Amino acid sequence: MPRRSKALLENDIEEAEPRPPAVTPPLEPGEPTDLELMRGIQEEDPDALSKLYDRYNGIIKALILRVVHNEAEADDLLQEIFMELWNQAKNFSAQKGKPLGWMVTLARRRAIDGLRKKQAYMRAGERLQNETEQQPDAWVHNSTEEEISFSDTRILVRKVINSLPPAQQEAVDLAFFRGMSQREIAAKTNTPLGTVKTRLELGLKKIYDGLKNLKDEL
Amino acid sequence: MSFEEFQNRARLYVIGALEDGESREFEEARASFGQQAEDFITECYRLHEAFALSLRPAKSSDALKERLMKMVRERKEGGSAKL
Repeated sequence: MPRRSKALLENDIEEAEPRPPAVTPPLEPGEPTDLELMRGIQEEDPDALSKLYDRYNGIIKALILRVVHNEAEADDLLQEIFMELWNQAKNFSAQKGKPLGWMVTLARRRAIDGLRKKQAYMRAGERLQNETEQQPDAWVHNSTEEEISFSDTRILVRKVINSLPPAQQEAVDLAFFRGMSQREIAAKTNTPLGTVKTRLELGLKKIYDGLKNLKDEL
Repeated sequence: MSFEEFQNRARLYVIGALEDGESREFEEARASFGQQAEDFITECYRLHEAFALSLRPAKSSDALKERLMKMVRERKEGGSAKL
């Protein structure tokens, strides 16, 4: 069951004063935008990919790690994802979203595919149980509480997520980061299917509504 | 299906959490609501960015980037780099 850490709560309170969120990471004056870099990649400019990698490899790797929980596998997937980004760049359309969104979608799909292949060789229930015990705070990964240093955007996004009741956080976490179906979540959490559906719908709606205020920044 | 119900399903859809029966109903409603539905689904993908941005960035080695860029340059030059 996800729980909110004391340090995170204190951090939230400390950072709770409204202020304009910054894009993650902030761009230096004259730096190309994500869209300009994507256009560069579409024109097969390796330097554009290099810059996009420098900008987002940390976020993408964090997302992969959140799914696979293995450093070496995460590195392999990170490399594959940016290679796929290079190979599939022509399929990117700015009309359908921002480059970061496209990368995250790509990364999540790859990571969950990797997890499922691995689980084919393992007893899934035992593995998930072990991971749950090792990662009691579902939304904080790979860092001690003292090390957490959030950007403005991250703080605001996490505030939205942390505002959910723990059961909704857990359902969203299992669906997004583990790629679990509603039935799988119901089985894992010993919860009626209808309750899982309600938790997911309510949780996602609250996150979606909460992010409206950040719309221009995300 | 009302548009509000479609919105609830759309949020589940973008994270791949629709059940089989729901998917069929969702696709029918999606076709019925047309562009309004497509615009909402596009908006829902912002959830993906948000979940990623909620995580603390992880470190990667310089060697990983060097390997990637070597593969990219080989691919561009028509080399035999493989995934």
